[in-house]
Amino acid sequence: MILLRQYRVASFLLVLLAIAAFAIAELDFTTLFLGVALAMLSWYTTEGPRGRSLATWVSNALTIALAGYCGIDFAMRGTIEDAMGSLGRFLLWLLVIKIFSRRSENDDRQRFTLATMLVLTGCLESVDLSFGAIVLVFAGLAAWTAMLWRLAHGAESARSVRAAQNGFAPPLEITFGRRALPQFRWMAVVSLVMIFACSVIGFFLFPRFAEVRIGEVGRGSVTGFNDEIDLRGGDRITESRRELFTLQWIDGAGEAVQASRSLLLRGAVLDSYDIAGQRWYARRGGQPLGTLRTMTDGRLTDLTRGVAKDARARFRARFEMRSLSSDVLFSVYAPVGIATSESRTVSIDPSTLLLRDVSEDRGVGLWYYELLTQPQPDAVTMEAISLGARVRPASERVSFPVAELEPIARQILEDVSRTANIPPEPSADADLAERWTRNREVARAIASWMKSNFTYTTDLSGFGRIPGEDPIVSFLTRYRSGHCEYFASALCAVLRSLAIESRIVTGFIALEYDERGQFYIVRESNAHAWVEVRTGEFGWTAVDATPEDSLYAIQERNRSFADQFRWIYSRLEFLWNSGVVSYDASSQQNIAERVQSGWREAMSSRMDAVASRMRAVAMSLSLGRAGDVWFAVIGVGICTAGLAWLIVVVRRRRLRAALQIGQLSPREQARLQRDAAFYIEALRALAAAGAEKPAHMSARAFGEALLRRNAAVGAAFQPIAEEFYKVRYGGMGVGKVEANSHVSHVLALRKALRHNSGKLRVD
Amino acid sequence: MIGAFTKPKRRTRLVWAGVIYILVILAVGLAAGSRPNNLLVWVFSFLLAAMVVSGFVSGFMMMSIRAIRIEPRRGRVGEPLLVRYEIANMSRFIPAYDLRVDEWTKASRRGWSMRGRARTSAVQTPSLEVAGPAWVLHIGPRERLHGEAVFRPKRRGLVRLGEFEVSTKFPFGLMRKVLRFHQVGEVLIHPEIVALRTELLAKVTSGGFGGHRLSSEAGGFDDFFGVREYRPGDSIRSIAWKRLAGTGKLATIERSRSVPPRLRVLVDLRVATANLRTVDAEDARELEERAIVLAASFIALADRLGYEYALSIAGFDVAPVSLRKGHFHREKLMSALAALDLDAPRTKGNGFAASDERATVVVVHPDRAELAVASVDAWHFTARQLDSLREGAPLTEVRA
Repeated sequence: MILLRQYRVASFLLVLLAIAAFAIAELDFTTLFLGVALAMLSWYTTEGPRGRSLATWVSNALTIALAGYCGIDFAMRGTIEDAMGSLGRFLLWLLVIKIFSRRSENDDRQRFTLATMLVLTGCLESVDLSFGAIVLVFAGLAAWTAMLWRLAHGAESARSVRAAQNGFAPPLEITFGRRALPQFRWMAVVSLVMIFACSVIGFFLFPRFAEVRIGEVGRGSVTGFNDEIDLRGGDRITESRRELFTLQWIDGAGEAVQASRSLLLRGAVLDSYDIAGQRWYARRGGQPLGTLRTMTDGRLTDLTRGVAKDARARFRARFEMRSLSSDVLFSVYAPVGIATSESRTVSIDPSTLLLRDVSEDRGVGLWYYELLTQPQPDAVTMEAISLGARVRPASERVSFPVAELEPIARQILEDVSRTANIPPEPSADADLAERWTRNREVARAIASWMKSNFTYTTDLSGFGRIPGEDPIVSFLTRYRSGHCEYFASALCAVLRSLAIESRIVTGFIALEYDERGQFYIVRESNAHAWVEVRTGEFGWTAVDATPEDSLYAIQERNRSFADQFRWIYSRLEFLWNSGVVSYDASSQQNIAERVQSGWREAMSSRMDAVASRMRAVAMSLSLGRAGDVWFAVIGVGICTAGLAWLIVVVRRRRLRAALQIGQLSPREQARLQRDAAFYIEALRALAAAGAEKPAHMSARAFGEALLRRNAAVGAAFQPIAEEFYKVRYGGMGVGKVEANSHVSHVLALRKALRHNSGKLRVD
Repeated sequence: MIGAFTKPKRRTRLVWAGVIYILVILAVGLAAGSRPNNLLVWVFSFLLAAMVVSGFVSGFMMMSIRAIRIEPRRGRVGEPLLVRYEIANMSRFIPAYDLRVDEWTKASRRGWSMRGRARTSAVQTPSLEVAGPAWVLHIGPRERLHGEAVFRPKRRGLVRLGEFEVSTKFPFGLMRKVLRFHQVGEVLIHPEIVALRTELLAKVTSGGFGGHRLSSEAGGFDDFFGVREYRPGDSIRSIAWKRLAGTGKLATIERSRSVPPRLRVLVDLRVATANLRTVDAEDARELEERAIVLAASFIALADRLGYEYALSIAGFDVAPVSLRKGHFHREKLMSALAALDLDAPRTKGNGFAASDERATVVVVHPDRAELAVASVDAWHFTARQLDSLREGAPLTEVRA
């Protein structure tokens, strides 16, 4: 039968999907292609014309070898964080072995379980859209396969019981009705729709206690940038081509233009270095954050609170999200105005000028936001944006905690001074402006020196960590190659060792300009780190030591044909990230409030409308205060009539079913419902006594059965059955005499039942 | 039959797969609650929803299922007993899948009931063993189908069937939804028939004249019976040529119709079970049962060979059955043997009243031959000889 044959195909697809899902969760494309290819090969070898499968002992030996290999591999190289990945890899290859083994019912069950466990393991590893989409498909297919499996298993178990009788029992002939396959499809689809609908409701109602931040979940970080730099990190940074957002750079005349140089989009400022952890991080607990509420309809909110008037040299940066859903609002330095797609509460860190969406009602992320920025803001503007907060007293001594870096820094400065025109060290009584100017020149000179003497690479496999030596020292003195985080760390560390106030900024660099759309495309691989040097009371200047040519080269190298279609996926990814991945307690509360308030408003507005209509009617009829009473009476009357109508309909339906007169004309139906009521009454009495007439049994046969069981009851029922035949099939009209006779028969039956009801019941 | 009219009782039983599934749900729920991973939350919701929907789907599916048992009147030990179930889906829209029908016995309950743990006390039908339950893949809305279950009768006698269950584990096999129908039925299980040596009856009936009698009707092809006037259509071979030559009239020779041997089987059950003589820890009741089996086998063999046969049962008030042959006669005798209640008190009479009939008498004793029960020319067998009389058993055993 087709229905049972479909099970094998569905279960195979399920395994295939599980392998693909885990490989995508791990972003391991070698495993993806190898695993899927082997799985497809298994279909040919086990289900093909030859139908061969691995012997049990070979399968067991391979399983033991796999377990041993995975165990040793995890003990040698694995970490606790990678435990789930190791388990998943073990399950994946175990599944591949299993699909080459024989396909008994028990093996099918094992494969189903393994596939499910594999996908669950993947759920702990990734929350990417691609993986999530596969999980959705897998869940639907798993439910479908489970239904088919239930049927196949039922047939197999019924067959096996008969087969175990050694020919005693005839083989099973599977019995099924008409249209089994379409009805199964219909039922399966309805079940799946119900399950998916319930699961969505469950998803929204599941209690959540914490705020979910994208990037905390699973392996698939969705921003690319971090608010800390860990120099002990992995060997390779991501070169993902995922589009995060687009940036349109609009000049003062309102024209979208390409900036003269790459734009640095600030996301986090890291001002502290942890020697033990070898990481940069942001020091918390500084100035209190300033907050403001942006206006609706995309209107611009002034961040300077009306202080900055000059708009001649201002640019507008319009960010449109594609896959990024984050509370960080990336900006170029010194944003002076902001407009958002919907009204949000935005915080400004006065010491870093970083913007963040801190709205409590943050549902899905912002679709777009626009920043008004001023490349060289004056002091008044800066003071206004910074809320008057000075970061640090200028006189405070700046240092870097790695002591061995200071002589290296001095040596670098000396080397750089030979080629670059660096102002001399200002005297102790020199003013701050002179000092800041020199600092900027020193920073630029050292950055330039690093660009020309150091190599940019994303592959750090050759960057060995030397015990007791800070990685920044290793980068400067030993390897001289690394990625942007090392360049920024080294520059910042050297500057601080030279007592120049600086800090690291992480975010994105906008390199790729789309001429046709007139906007920059910012991808995950554009995550970047650079340095800011203090050059004013409130001002900082960005200095990037990373060779920009290398970044452009990597950008060009990774460009592909698929890039032009990537925005479609990116849009979906934005919805996924903003609606699903980052759905947390606040989003839940927001939805609950919206639903509650919406419901309340809808109800109250309807009630108001009804009340006003009633008042209008009462006034037009001059009912006065009695109008309410009249309306109440009418309402009760309508409800009663409706209830009565419902009861009549249900009763008629039951009568039609009991008398089996559905095919007759309405007139004949009405006659029989009236005249054969005594028969229904008798059946009801018998049912109450425990003897319900089965639908397939005729009245006469039922009477005979009753007679065998209990003579008195049977004898009392038989005249009723005979009368019923006369009415139902004989076309006998029921007059007063006949009606009285019917009533007496029913009363006799009731009397017989009262005395014999216990004998009818079968315990 | 009143039991068939009662509404089915509904039960929901959790099966092992369901228990494991619930544990998996709990594990995933724990993981989803402890990590900020919304995909896990959705997976947890999906698993939970699948369980809930599974309950709803199977519940709706079973709501309109009705079934009746169509049991056969009789069965036979050693032969499959086919019991049919008519299953009707009264629903207008919802089809039903994976319906299994089981005769309900207290020990046959699988899984846990929502109303307590399954009891495993007495078995209702020890005489029947399930050899293949009825299973229906699909039954559409407003459809009726028949499912067929196979039982292995283990013991002769009257078997009472009480409740039966229609259950399903569709859609996901997490729980079993059960409808239990109460329908009392009875099946008479005939004793087992052992294939005896074919030549046995020929040998038994060949001695003396017990089984033989003169033919009393013409129409066969055996000995000369008489001559009659020729009728058109008579075979030319049967024309009496000598008479034609003598009288000049055509005449036809009639031959006698063959008369089958006659056999009366007498089962000697006069001695109560407890008083039977047994050796080496033999089961006395088992000896009696074997005697009945041997008697039934004699009857079956006689029927197969075309004999006329009859049955007498000594020790019970069963009227002796006269000599006849044919299917209905055979079934009548088998039913008489099947209905014997060996726990009932025995009577002194030998049940062999028709002593003047001309038939070979075969007496079957449970423990030992007692010659006084029948005439001197009767053949006596004991239950212990059953195996040695089987078709294919060594001949020496027969002599012994």
